[in-house]
Amino acid sequence: MSFRQASVLPGFGLTFGFTTFFLSAIVLLPLAALVLSAGSMHWNDFVRVVTSPRALGSYRLSFGASLLAATINVVFGFIIAWTLTRYEFPGRKIIDALIDMPFALPTAVSGIALTTVFAQNGWIGRYLEPLGVKVAYTWIGVTLALTLISMPFAVRAVQPALQEVQRDLEEAAETLGARRVYVMRRIILPTVLPALLTGFTLAFARAVGEYGSVIFIAGNLPMKTEITPLLIVIHLEEFDYQGAAALGVVMLGISFVILLTINLLQAWGRRRHVRAAH
Amino acid sequence: MSITLDQVTKHYAGVPVVNDVSLDIGDGEFFVLLGPSGSGKSTLLRAIAGLSGVDHGRISLHGRDVTHVAARKRGVGLVFQNYALFRHMTVADNIEFALRVRRMRGRARRARRAELLRLVSLEGMDDRLPAQLSGGQQQRVAVARALAHKPEVLLLDEPFGALDAKIREELRRTIRQVQRELGITTVLVTHDQEEAFAMADRIGIMSQGRLLEMGAPHELYARPATRFVATFLGAANLFLARRTPDGIQVGGKTMGTAERAPGAPEHEVVAVVRPEEVEIAPAREALGSRYLGHGIVDEVTFTGALERLRVRLDDGVQAPLLATAEGDANGSVALQVTRTRHAHRGFEVQQGQSVAVGLRRVHVLPTPLSSFTACARSTPLADALTRQPLLAELVARMKTRVAVRIEPSLGLADEPAEAKGEFFGTTVIAAEGDNAVRAEWLLRRGVKDLLVLPENAAPPQRVLIHWMGEAARSATLAVSASVLRHVPAEAVYLGIFPGHGDSERHSYGMRELLDARSEAQAAHGLEMRTELHFGDVAQELTRRLAEAPAQMLIVGITELKHFATAFGALLDGGRWPVLIVQRGTS
Repeated sequence: MSFRQASVLPGFGLTFGFTTFFLSAIVLLPLAALVLSAGSMHWNDFVRVVTSPRALGSYRLSFGASLLAATINVVFGFIIAWTLTRYEFPGRKIIDALIDMPFALPTAVSGIALTTVFAQNGWIGRYLEPLGVKVAYTWIGVTLALTLISMPFAVRAVQPALQEVQRDLEEAAETLGARRVYVMRRIILPTVLPALLTGFTLAFARAVGEYGSVIFIAGNLPMKTEITPLLIVIHLEEFDYQGAAALGVVMLGISFVILLTINLLQAWGRRRHVRAAH
Repeated sequence: MSITLDQVTKHYAGVPVVNDVSLDIGDGEFFVLLGPSGSGKSTLLRAIAGLSGVDHGRISLHGRDVTHVAARKRGVGLVFQNYALFRHMTVADNIEFALRVRRMRGRARRARRAELLRLVSLEGMDDRLPAQLSGGQQQRVAVARALAHKPEVLLLDEPFGALDAKIREELRRTIRQVQRELGITTVLVTHDQEEAFAMADRIGIMSQGRLLEMGAPHELYARPATRFVATFLGAANLFLARRTPDGIQVGGKTMGTAERAPGAPEHEVVAVVRPEEVEIAPAREALGSRYLGHGIVDEVTFTGALERLRVRLDDGVQAPLLATAEGDANGSVALQVTRTRHAHRGFEVQQGQSVAVGLRRVHVLPTPLSSFTACARSTPLADALTRQPLLAELVARMKTRVAVRIEPSLGLADEPAEAKGEFFGTTVIAAEGDNAVRAEWLLRRGVKDLLVLPENAAPPQRVLIHWMGEAARSATLAVSASVLRHVPAEAVYLGIFPGHGDSERHSYGMRELLDARSEAQAAHGLEMRTELHFGDVAQELTRRLAEAPAQMLIVGITELKHFATAFGALLDGGRWPVLIVQRGTS
């Protein structure tokens, strides 16, 4: 590799140095510390902590609810993005701005707000209660909170891709005899699929790491509505730093595997695409 | 007929973008819709394709009414300016798209694809992605894709817009060839008149939502009916000329006799002279055509095959030049001349040289509105009138000019009712109060077309048309058609009959309306709506005018006897632009 490449920013060597330094200091070093801290445990202790029934239950809830939330957000994020890019209506700008609200709100506030609405005596919760649906203090509440805070990621990832799909393409397909469903399946979805996957990844990553909003609405019953980040905090409060680090490492591992899988899927999709072309 | 459009109208935000277009396109015909951007041609094409609905009117393809049929069921092929290829699909998948939608079997599909690729000379490109092709190749794929399902009609929306000149030429030939080979009815939309000439069997020219004129390319070029077409289709010099019993007079000299209408009274007309019909020579005797006058060569431009000149006519030549193709709005009126290399070798000219100018062929526009004369009691009043927005807009759109005429005693009753010199063109007065009196004063002195203009009247969205007496009928229609070619407004004919509408009167009235409509259509290509009213004419007109904003009235009259009593109230209100057409009065 040569460090002499023409570019607007001066000095590839310098910028490359900054890049590696920043990544190391901000991302890699803390992660390494985490792994090291967990590594100082005895192997048997490590296994005991990370495979305790309580930990296993929390993984299931954390990753299950996050995947579900990301899926919901991809579907509805697509619809919201579609509405915002395709239609002109009064208040469009306001709705567009509202999308970003979950970004700006402290997550604890979101959690309190959701609990107010969905608790048994809340505005909506009181009507769901007779139907036998309990939202607050169940996994549904957890999913709801995760959906709320990860929603902007899905919408914002899809929006630019949808703006790229020209009206002409749909019109061309229509004059060629295609029905709407066919146009959606063969023209629009293939074009925005990479963006949808990106949106899914971002939403999922955000949801897995969420803590603040969930603890209010989840009720935090061990094995039932306890998410892994909470479990980590509980370990910390008991000054069990190693146990917390161990759980952190497991989260890190699972998240890494899931994100890597999605990335590989995307790359595979692109390759298949290009292969079809030759 | 392959494509039949019947009174197709489409509004956007209240403004008609396609205004009452009726059109028949024959089987296998190559029809070109030509017009400047914003003239409504693309909207019309999209309406034919079914991609945008119409507010009014009917569209049929091969005798089948498709006005309310979805685009995918119309059986048309559409080619877009930006190709609109599916970028994630190969050339093969793009072309087979319509076949897959129709669930055609694999083998038949591949055979059809091969056939189409051969048709557009892209054999072997099956597996490329659109991004791997040049612009011209992409557009060929788009054409093949549009033809895959054997549509009955091929629609092309500025298909060459994004291509450079060489490729454009080549693709033009390919498309024309394919079109002939398949015998498919084709509509092409373009703003490029050269392209229209090169490809069309017939051209329809659109401006401001209206289909102004249509015909074979050479017909339209040689005998345009409107100023817009004359100047839009190639270059043209427009003169204010006079039609006399001897023939057409330009600058006081009789130019052509061929197009004279015997028996017609002498009046002002607009004459079109193509730049190649202007002859220049060192002296009057050397001219092979009729002599117009002398001029100074202003500019000489060499363009390859042709030489372009601008010749400024001497002050002595009384031939008011209205406009040239380049649209000299700044009052510079130099004659445009083009000469072949051959003519150039025979007589070389330099800038500043004095030459004799002759006209080989003069075409007279069959339009009754030639120029405007702003008439007022004093110069400041007349000058203010020439700046009135509606008048300024009409003048700009009609490529004509406003003369100023001062009549200090305008509207004063004690003046003898004699003309001190004739009135030319359409006389314009400002609506200021005693409008009826001043209007009658002018009409009694021989003004034929009189426009009464409120100070801040804007271009109308609807023009109401009415005539009192059969003698004014055809003139009123002709004037209305002329106005409506330059104003993007809706035309409504009001038939108003005395008394109450019993059934007998009603059926008589309906017949009158139908007659009026068919005459407007046949003689002037003017599409108008009709309304039947009963009661007092002036009252009904006033009531109808008051109903909506931005309306204008064109009214034909045959006598002045009861003018003031009939129109006093309507005119003196001064709220609407009123154009009075006077015919058949003694």
